[in-house]
Amino acid sequence: MDVFVIGQAVHTPAARIGDKRLEELVFDTAHAALADAGVKRAQIDHVTIAGCDELDGRSISSMLLAAPAGAQLRDEMKCTDSGLTGLCLEAMRLESGIFGLGLLVSWSKPSTAPLEDVMRMRCEPFYTRPIGLNMAITDGLFAQAAGAKYGFDEFDADEAVLDGYRRGAANPRGVGHKVPGVEAISVSPYVAAPLRQAHQAPITDGAVAMVVASERWLKSNPRARPLARVSGIGWRNEAYDLGADRLSGLTGFRNALDDALTMSGLKTAADLDLIELDSQTGFHELAFRAALNGNAPKAISTSGGAFAQNPYFCTGLINAAEVILQLSDQAGPIQLPGIKRAAAHGSHGFANQGNVAVVLERV
Amino acid sequence: MAKNVVALIGTGQTKFKTHYADKTYIELAQDAAKLALDDAGMEPGEIDAVVFSMAPTQFMGVNDCDRWATSHVWGAGKPFMRIHAGGATGGSALQAGYVHIASGVYRSVLVVGADRVAETPDAQHILNLIWDRFYEHDFALNTVTMTALAAQRYMARYGTTEEQFARVVVRGRKNAMGNPYAHLRGDITVDDVMNSPRVSYPYKRFDICPRSSGAAAVVLTNLDIAKQKSTKPAFVTGVSAITHSVFMGDRMGVYSETEFSDHDGEHIAAYEAYRQAGITNPASQIQVAELYDPFSTFQFPILEGLGFCGRGRAAAISDEGGWDMDGQVAINPSGGTLCTNPIGVTGLVRIVDAADQIRGKAGQNQIKGVHNAVATAAGGSTQFFTVTMLGDDHAPAGRVQ
Repeated sequence: MDVFVIGQAVHTPAARIGDKRLEELVFDTAHAALADAGVKRAQIDHVTIAGCDELDGRSISSMLLAAPAGAQLRDEMKCTDSGLTGLCLEAMRLESGIFGLGLLVSWSKPSTAPLEDVMRMRCEPFYTRPIGLNMAITDGLFAQAAGAKYGFDEFDADEAVLDGYRRGAANPRGVGHKVPGVEAISVSPYVAAPLRQAHQAPITDGAVAMVVASERWLKSNPRARPLARVSGIGWRNEAYDLGADRLSGLTGFRNALDDALTMSGLKTAADLDLIELDSQTGFHELAFRAALNGNAPKAISTSGGAFAQNPYFCTGLINAAEVILQLSDQAGPIQLPGIKRAAAHGSHGFANQGNVAVVLERV
Repeated sequence: MAKNVVALIGTGQTKFKTHYADKTYIELAQDAAKLALDDAGMEPGEIDAVVFSMAPTQFMGVNDCDRWATSHVWGAGKPFMRIHAGGATGGSALQAGYVHIASGVYRSVLVVGADRVAETPDAQHILNLIWDRFYEHDFALNTVTMTALAAQRYMARYGTTEEQFARVVVRGRKNAMGNPYAHLRGDITVDDVMNSPRVSYPYKRFDICPRSSGAAAVVLTNLDIAKQKSTKPAFVTGVSAITHSVFMGDRMGVYSETEFSDHDGEHIAAYEAYRQAGITNPASQIQVAELYDPFSTFQFPILEGLGFCGRGRAAAISDEGGWDMDGQVAINPSGGTLCTNPIGVTGLVRIVDAADQIRGKAGQNQIKGVHNAVATAAGGSTQFFTVTMLGDDHAPAGRVQ
């Protein structure tokens, strides 16, 4: 796959971005990505949007947000799964040969949407909604099943959370969460045993945009500066129903990553220098690491992942932005030496029903 | 030109009606998926990836309902994504499936969706919520009143009458009599339309589409699989989608790039799709058009935007029968969106009906000698426009290389 990111912007995150309307958040981020790429909106021939109506609190949120995202009188397409799914769609649009230069925009402002209310309405009306299933409970079920399979418990999760906060605290692009003591984590209230409140990554507001180009466009615009090459994409959904195998198998995670690795000509995740995981809880971080099955890259979630910032829905695309910074030597104080290939991971849905992986390479 | 040829080798649609009391949402989606797979001669295991077509989920009441449907459309364990562009969703989902194949990333894709618009007591209440929270929720803006405003402007510009719009309804209902899947059909008269209850000038009840429930699906493949599985595929020869500002006032007047009442973006999308497909004279090269026309007033500006005639001419040609089944271009042989509107898949139904015409599978409504067909969709504040060209030849003369 020959698709290149030539510019990007991540909006300054916060627990609540209260001084901007969603349209302003999106416009500012899209505008900053174009500036980073050194291109004008007039050069863009298409826009890909990744957004979620329900989290935006609007029935067709792209009606108001497409234009701030740069899509006025442009070929625009919107997926609703996750921000990182948007990068996969954008890569295919460019790889199809009918486009040259695109803008990908994703956002999430959960401070204005009661997240668990949105998630509860994802339950089908016959069985799971009447029993009150929600995101915390499905994550708790996941924690139970994955912990039993891979041999970790809530004390391990305490340490994983602490580690995540420590890495996040070093990332200047994070919210700047205070690193909690392990005691504070271990005595925080249960939300769905064994998942405690402090095991959950805090939800934040945020937005991310990327300018993405085809190889053909780059050849005809030699002054453009590619930051990274998208070499492989993969995304898989698992069943909606939460059986034991579904919860602990992590099949979607493994297969999405394998798809992206294979497309990149790589065999295992050990061939990567870094992977940024979308771990919504400490249990998820442990489970994803276990699912790498001894083939882990040298570095994992250097940015702190969701414990640095977590605009739920586009956290995976934030991970991709962090990977691109590493590949272009712009990661600042958390820059790792010699990063040549790295992957971003995103997850979405109840108990990570959907998993997405994108492999990026240094140009 | 796309890197890889994209063929459509299977279609499926359920019957459309107001309510399905005997089926759940996911069962409806599965019915359409099964029909499309059977039509393609494929098993679920032969499908590489799934694209799900669904517009606002508030109509049927389950957020992100595509996740619930994943297993029922054989998407579990596969690459699966949902596309949403309001009323244009079905057209956009098809185009997302198209890039799966055209990019060479996947060989076969199922594009499927379902909707149950009438699960909510008042769809127009939901459609009021699509507008800006601070400025527009509090007055009676919905898709009926919004498009009525555009229709009034079109009438003022071109002198079109309510009776001319009524003839569109009569033609659609008549065509739908030959479509076993259509929601509304019947032999009605212009007087029947004119005498139906007034809703919002110039609309009477019969000028407005029904709230439909049902599902649709198509199977897209690359050329190699198409050759193995199908003797007569419909090739996707051109795709384009244009998005406009939500603000209607910004789309008219001397400072606007386009004209709102002309369904401005449709023209831009059409000519890009035509460029890809090698269409230089749409009126002579396209035999069938399946249009997204949920209101009787949509058809004329769309036909003009598609280049079938000059601006302001479509109504007169309609009066002369030019858009009938045996006219210069057969418009909505299926009856179109005026007769059937399951919003999340309506654009996909247009693709199904257009592809069936190419493949000679349109049954009683089959038009003879169809080589090229165009399918449209529109959504939002009439701001999302998709145009998809289908043809019986993947490498027609004049196609952009």
